[in-house]
Amino acid sequence: MASFDITDPNSFLKQQMMETLRLVMDPELHINIIDLGLVYGIEIEAPKKRVKVEMTLSSSYCPMGESIVFAVKNCIEGHYEGYEATVDLVWEPVWSYDSITDEGKRLLGL
Amino acid sequence: MSGIKQNPGLYKIVVTHYVTAAFCFLVLSVMMLFSVKAFTGHYFHPQILAITHMAALGWGTMIILGASYQLIPVVLETDLYSEKLAWISFGLFLPGLIALVYSFWVFVPGIHMQCGAILLLLAVVLFTANVYLTAKKKKQETIQEDFIFSACICLCLTVALGAALAFNFTLSIFPQDQLHFLKLHAHMGLIGWFLLMLIGVSSKLVPMFLVSSYQSTKLLTYSYYLIVGALLYFLVDSYLFGLSLRTYLIFTIGAAGITCYFIFILKCLRSRLRKHIDLPMMNSFLSFILLKIATLTVPFIIYFHFKNNPITIRFSMIYGEFMLMGWITALILGQTFKTLPFIVWVKHYEHLTGKFKTPMPADLFADNLLKAQTVSYLIFCLTFMPGCYLLFLPLIYIGIAALMVTAMLYLSNIFIVLFHKTITYGKL
Repeated sequence: MASFDITDPNSFLKQQMMETLRLVMDPELHINIIDLGLVYGIEIEAPKKRVKVEMTLSSSYCPMGESIVFAVKNCIEGHYEGYEATVDLVWEPVWSYDSITDEGKRLLGL
Repeated sequence: MSGIKQNPGLYKIVVTHYVTAAFCFLVLSVMMLFSVKAFTGHYFHPQILAITHMAALGWGTMIILGASYQLIPVVLETDLYSEKLAWISFGLFLPGLIALVYSFWVFVPGIHMQCGAILLLLAVVLFTANVYLTAKKKKQETIQEDFIFSACICLCLTVALGAALAFNFTLSIFPQDQLHFLKLHAHMGLIGWFLLMLIGVSSKLVPMFLVSSYQSTKLLTYSYYLIVGALLYFLVDSYLFGLSLRTYLIFTIGAAGITCYFIFILKCLRSRLRKHIDLPMMNSFLSFILLKIATLTVPFIIYFHFKNNPITIRFSMIYGEFMLMGWITALILGQTFKTLPFIVWVKHYEHLTGKFKTPMPADLFADNLLKAQTVSYLIFCLTFMPGCYLLFLPLIYIGIAALMVTAMLYLSNIFIVLFHKTITYGKL
């Protein structure tokens, strides 16, 4: 899960983008990707208006992986005009149960 | 990264296989309606042979080939080697299937049957070549790949032996009688092709759809070696000596392999993240129960065979019915509505997701039709199999009627998914 540095001038925008990414749902689980703990961090290059989202998938074979990546890109670019988003898929740390937020667990009935 | 690499060519191949298989399923149920009495006799009967091949090739294999073109690149994490090869394979498979099934139905084992068998053989060889060349790009790493490659090899060997048997009707290639090879042909197909392929693919899909935390593949490795070992032992032993007391041992080895797979599924189920199990997955779990029942009939087939009791024929019929019309059919009826809506959803919504509120893949099929399909299929299982065992025609009729309803509902729901129109519910 991403952490935020108060001294970072982009921390507010990062937090805002994280909230925006709650709109992206996992098509199988019907839970947003933030509460699933799939997003590890966001880097913003404010002058160039570039955003890099570092995230993972629940499975490296996830057949919907491509769609989730598209959705993340679309979501950022659709809500933050002029920003160009890229998604960096990483497999370390490996996603696990522990990555899910309390709200995510509640939604999954865990 | 892995993912459904959606392109129009691949989409057409996959959908064509799914639709053809759905029509074959409907035709199969109609063929069964016209063969009710044949289900009370011996399995080496023209109509039963035609029905079995329609079920195994037109229904089971056709849909597995279609799903494979979509799923094997996902499992192997690489693009399909050739779409053209897939189309050629389909172009050979369909006329081959029609020629073979028709020849069995009217029982004219001549040129049509032989041509059909050759076309089918060419089709499955091309499919296997496509899978092999797809996988060649990467080093073999997972047990799922072992399952899939072994299954493809078994498919080719099954069809090759089947083609030889088709020629044997007129050319007398084999010294032994046709029935001696029939059980080898049937088990290479049922265990070698269907079981290995379905374990290989489902052991990837089931944990993924359940979002299971169970990651170990140790049980699958045991399962693979036990099943392949039992199959090879059975083929050699049964070819040389026929059924013997060793067949019990072979059965035990194979059953242990299937049990390992069941334990794997159970562990996935217990460690699943997604607590709610949807209807397509329920159908899949029903299929595992039917596979277990099919497996449990085998000792009875062997026992009554030794006693020269003709009831062994009944058990053989029940075994085949539980395998083809039970396990394989239930799995397809469920997994179709896990895979096809995703494939169609990606085509319609991948570019819109994240911008607009869109339906989810599970919203693409009619849930009520799927519920009705599940009920009618359960009626089929509860009436047809007992009816065939008890030789009670009214039960067989009810079962086949229920199967026809199942096939019509299934086909309708496939078209509902395929003719889905893109809709959005406003901007996100």
